[in-house]
Amino acid sequence: MAQAGKGRLNYRCPSCFLRDIDMDMFYDRDRDEYYCLRCQYRGKEADVLAKNELARFRYGAMHRRFTFEEED
Amino acid sequence: MSSFILNLIHRPELSPEYAEKLTGQGREEEPGRKALVDESLEIFKTQQALAHKYGLRTTIQMTYASLFCPEAVALAKEDHAAYGDEIGLSLLGLPCEQFREKYRTKDFCIWMFSLEDKKAIVRDVFEKFHEIFGFYPASTGSYYMDADLINFIKAEYPSVSCVIATCWEEGPKAYHTCNNSWYTLMDGGPWAPWIPSKANTHAPAANAAEDSGVVAIPHLSRDLLACYDGNGSNFGTHPQNVLRGMIYDSQTWEYPYLYNLIDQYRSLARYNDGLAYNMMFVGPGWMNKAGRWEQPYELLYKAYEDGCAYYGKLKQEGKLQDMTMAEFAAYYRQRKSYTTPECALWRDILYGSDKQLFWYCDPYMRVCVNMDQGGAIVDLRPYAAKLEWPVGIGTPHVQNASYPFLIQEKYRAGYFTHYAGEGTVRSAKLCWRGEEADLCLCRTKASFRREGEDRILTLDPVEIVFAGGLRVKLQTAHTFSEGSANLRTDRRILWQSDPAETVTIREYLTACYGTTEYPEDMSSLTLHVEAGEESVTIPYEYRCREAAVPGAEEVSCTLPPIKTRVSMLANGRDRVGFIREGYAFSPMFTLGWERKLREQEVFTTWLRLERAD
Repeated sequence: MAQAGKGRLNYRCPSCFLRDIDMDMFYDRDRDEYYCLRCQYRGKEADVLAKNELARFRYGAMHRRFTFEEED
Repeated sequence: MSSFILNLIHRPELSPEYAEKLTGQGREEEPGRKALVDESLEIFKTQQALAHKYGLRTTIQMTYASLFCPEAVALAKEDHAAYGDEIGLSLLGLPCEQFREKYRTKDFCIWMFSLEDKKAIVRDVFEKFHEIFGFYPASTGSYYMDADLINFIKAEYPSVSCVIATCWEEGPKAYHTCNNSWYTLMDGGPWAPWIPSKANTHAPAANAAEDSGVVAIPHLSRDLLACYDGNGSNFGTHPQNVLRGMIYDSQTWEYPYLYNLIDQYRSLARYNDGLAYNMMFVGPGWMNKAGRWEQPYELLYKAYEDGCAYYGKLKQEGKLQDMTMAEFAAYYRQRKSYTTPECALWRDILYGSDKQLFWYCDPYMRVCVNMDQGGAIVDLRPYAAKLEWPVGIGTPHVQNASYPFLIQEKYRAGYFTHYAGEGTVRSAKLCWRGEEADLCLCRTKASFRREGEDRILTLDPVEIVFAGGLRVKLQTAHTFSEGSANLRTDRRILWQSDPAETVTIREYLTACYGTTEYPEDMSSLTLHVEAGEESVTIPYEYRCREAAVPGAEEVSCTLPPIKTRVSMLANGRDRVGFIREGYAFSPMFTLGWERKLREQEVFTTWLRLERAD
């Protein structure tokens, strides 16, 4: 089994991202999956993308455009 | 003419440390690798082109490596001539073959070198810059510039008027985010431009004698709520910060948060005599052709173009002035006095919580007031001490450049919710017939006004409901007086369901000192109640002792490790001053005042900060 490398994009671990850790994942070509060196997360690209959507749950106003009083 | 000022700064790093790791995956480290240099230069050109496309001038902060690159030098000269871009000199981007050969180290953060090496490197890069351009730069910077470094640069190269001197709240949280590997430990500084003191970069100068001679700007303009709680590098006016935080729609690639952040900074003009400021500072590593984390290059490019386009649009509408760093330094000194504070009533623009924080910074203190906790002070840095804090190899603080706190709710619990102990916070409790309610549990909002030399933060009234039947409406106001190290707090009882009743207000400050999440040795601290012959002194020995003295004049704590004395005073003849020592499982101290109040009465206390020696 060859050593792991980077995938198409340099995905971070979604599980670590949720606890404010930017942890680059590595890609295991034999299993076609990404895995985290720090925690126990592993998953295929589709799962990483889905979990990244989940990680955005805390940004409740992410799509909202605010207005502010201006002083020009 | 708008007084919303933008500094847009590009640095032609030729071996960005993060790109080297990413694009060099599977290779031995080689900072001068041609492919990396070529790509970095190409990205720098792209960034410059995008700025100019939208009518924005930049400050080009040449890196040491780029001074050896004729193409980078030529590009800087061309853009200076064509667009009026300023050519400055960054102390970031040191790594290159020439640097490694000369200094025999992989260190790249200027503030972490020994003072001797700092001087040698500064002379080296400034003289190389002079050799290339025929003049000395007016601006320089790094992620952090310690006071010794700034003082040396100003003495040797007086042409320098503006420096990038800190990343706001990039401390233990950023370290944690990078899996405990990114040593930019520099919490506790200003978020907006300031004049650093000669003693400590974070602490603004109070007068000409303390003036380091430069105007400092922060590295990026950061979200004053999100960055306080989370990773600083996710929430700043660098479009790729916003992408790093995944604060964009993954389908449409839209990121209203970036524009909300810029606009909220614009809105701060109303608290600061009409002046507002933004800084965008990018190196090439973030626009790597291979993408950055989840983001492909196309998204990185789009975000940077959109950022430049928005600033350009504001400029076209007359709502923004773009300046170079040196221009801004001159402008800032015209607009601000030493004692002019920086104020920011900041609202949540990301999480949808509706929370509101008020940040205040002057030469004597940096304060954060949390309206979601009834106006409690949740962060306090005693700048009045002007603490000398040398950093770098050969000093007691090789990496840790943070200005120590007395209160930090994230690192020291804040309002306490756990099993045993206390957290740092400055709040008050209302007590009646054996019940007590902490104002930290009263969510409210605040408004800001200026009266003469006072900046006044007035909170909306809150209601306390005691189980025994009494209801009390209370209002808090914090008054910050310009040129003073005193913070006045008024608690006024506006209404009671039974006007004949009296309630007790217990004002308190629970504090400690530190720069990280971990406790420090408290054994050199001294608590004191000044009350003439009734005075009480408690040397800190973790023995959980306390004292309360009716009619006391002052309660205080002296903290020799940070050369700070913090004290509280109060009005009212029936006041009782108290002090409390902590214990090993709760290494805090508490100062406070207690007084009985009726409807329409006001309890006023003052928090005072001084240098201890």
